[in-house]
Amino acid sequence: MGVIHGDLMTLNIGPQHPSTHGVLRLKVKTDGEIISEVEPIIGYLHRCFEKHCENVTYDQVIPYTDRCDYIASMNNNFGYAVTIEALMEIKVPERVEYIRIIVAELNRIASHLLALGTYGLDVGAFTPFLYMFRDRERILDLFETLCGARLLYNYIWVGGLSHDLPRDFVESVFSFLDYFEPKIEEYNELLTYNKIFIERTADIGVLPPEVAISFGVTGPNLRGSGVKWDIRKDDPYSIYDKFDYDIPIGAGEMGTVGDCWDRYYVRMVEMKESAKIIRQALKGLPAGDVHQALPKKIRPPKGSIYKRTESPRGDLAYYIVSDGSPIPYRLKMRSPAFTALSVLGEISQGWMMSDVIAILGSLDIVLGEIDR
Amino acid sequence: MSEDLDKLISDAVEKALQGDMDVINNIEDRVTRSKAKAALVKAKRLAKAAIAEDAPKPEESKAVEALPAELSLTEKVSAVIAKKFPNTIESDEENSHIQMKGKNWFEIAQYLRDNPDFLFDSLQCVTGYDFGENEDLEVRYNLHSMTHNHAIEIRIKTDRNDPKVPSVEKVWRIGDWFERETYDMYGIVFEGHSNMTRILCPEDWEGWPLRKDYEVQETYHGIVVPKVKDGWE
Repeated sequence: MGVIHGDLMTLNIGPQHPSTHGVLRLKVKTDGEIISEVEPIIGYLHRCFEKHCENVTYDQVIPYTDRCDYIASMNNNFGYAVTIEALMEIKVPERVEYIRIIVAELNRIASHLLALGTYGLDVGAFTPFLYMFRDRERILDLFETLCGARLLYNYIWVGGLSHDLPRDFVESVFSFLDYFEPKIEEYNELLTYNKIFIERTADIGVLPPEVAISFGVTGPNLRGSGVKWDIRKDDPYSIYDKFDYDIPIGAGEMGTVGDCWDRYYVRMVEMKESAKIIRQALKGLPAGDVHQALPKKIRPPKGSIYKRTESPRGDLAYYIVSDGSPIPYRLKMRSPAFTALSVLGEISQGWMMSDVIAILGSLDIVLGEIDR
Repeated sequence: MSEDLDKLISDAVEKALQGDMDVINNIEDRVTRSKAKAALVKAKRLAKAAIAEDAPKPEESKAVEALPAELSLTEKVSAVIAKKFPNTIESDEENSHIQMKGKNWFEIAQYLRDNPDFLFDSLQCVTGYDFGENEDLEVRYNLHSMTHNHAIEIRIKTDRNDPKVPSVEKVWRIGDWFERETYDMYGIVFEGHSNMTRILCPEDWEGWPLRKDYEVQETYHGIVVPKVKDGWE
């Protein structure tokens, strides 16, 4: 075609690099400053999660799930507990369901705050990061009063919870929400509608919906591409069908549908919706005993199950095979960040080096969950 | 001014559609360049949609309508596959999954994805499975349709000493990484995969960790690999 191409240069980012959000290596081939190929190399955090699970009892697996997606441990506990309960056909008390949803949505807000804050950091905005971490800290404090841990909770157990709510927890969450909801406006002013931020993210790294589906991308990344898909609505588990909330999707407000800005903004709106769910759950919280349905010994019947839940990063699923013993025969975790990272090579082609960092940040990956 | 820009962008997009990306890449102004790239993605999508509309619609399969309505989805899918690809289904007794033979899996996968009654456009999960020492290995696929919101599970057994299953990397793009992970953990080779290498373990790791008869290598590059204790205190 009469085009002269120079040699491609291979550039290595990571495995230790602040913008890779963990221990991730990117092998980048560039033509000048333009990217022609990105190959993510993973596995640096592989801790044999699935092999461990085949050697411990069902309840001992829960702390391991904490350590997969360490930003949203509650949601990982939740997904695992829901899966085993479905396999064993345990009906958990109403109060447990409500508390689970409150903590899972709080954790979703905390996770999104971290994702959005570090995303600002990736594209050069330092201040919003500090604002968001200040508010995330309040959620972690709430969790600390709840179960003593700040990140790795081991709180949601099969059939129940490790503790009931502490005194004044409901009031503290209400006052947190009163404090937090107006703050979203503040973030919007600081970051969302910042001119520089928009120029760094709008129209960049467009992820078309059919590509997203083919790559198994789920959660806010898929919704950013304009696909209204949320397990909480489309395949409801627990009692998510009792609440009234919306599923935000990307609309291409600043550029094209499915660009980095859309993925970012979906998370921002989702925090509002989570706050809405928490308010409803707090109001409807019934009394009861949270330890009532805890099984003495967890021995699921023979069989297999595949169950999906909506973690802050998307479709978190467990495939569990039981042979009737107290130890899982096979446990596979389908991690949403794994599929999200696999699309990076596809959507980074043709962009600049600095855009790859913006695209990677907008996918919101957690390496602990990818490598397991 | 903005009209000039629009013209510049549309010209660049046209050039790019003909295969010449340099025009876009040479645009000096960053914002304009981003806009042009976004316009290119949009144009490609429109072109693709136009082709899809022009193409003759795949013949609507009447096979599904002919089946009794009370059958579950798994039974329907298995009946349709059995008709179209004879001798591939082994059983669907448990009604929770379809047990299949490995041959024709690539074609079947394509058919399941494109058939308007099923439209399994999303590969949710690929799980390797080991029946025990000296037994067969198995690959389990969880398929899901975004349009119809339904799901099935397909299982394919393969021989332990020569495990081979056709790759579906080209049907669902995520198949690429899922199959690499299964290869990494079980040593199952996916025939037709473009890059059958380990993904989570180091390239020169020995053995297949999730097989039931796996024994950890004693040293790795001179480093002693700690032994896992038997049982837990």
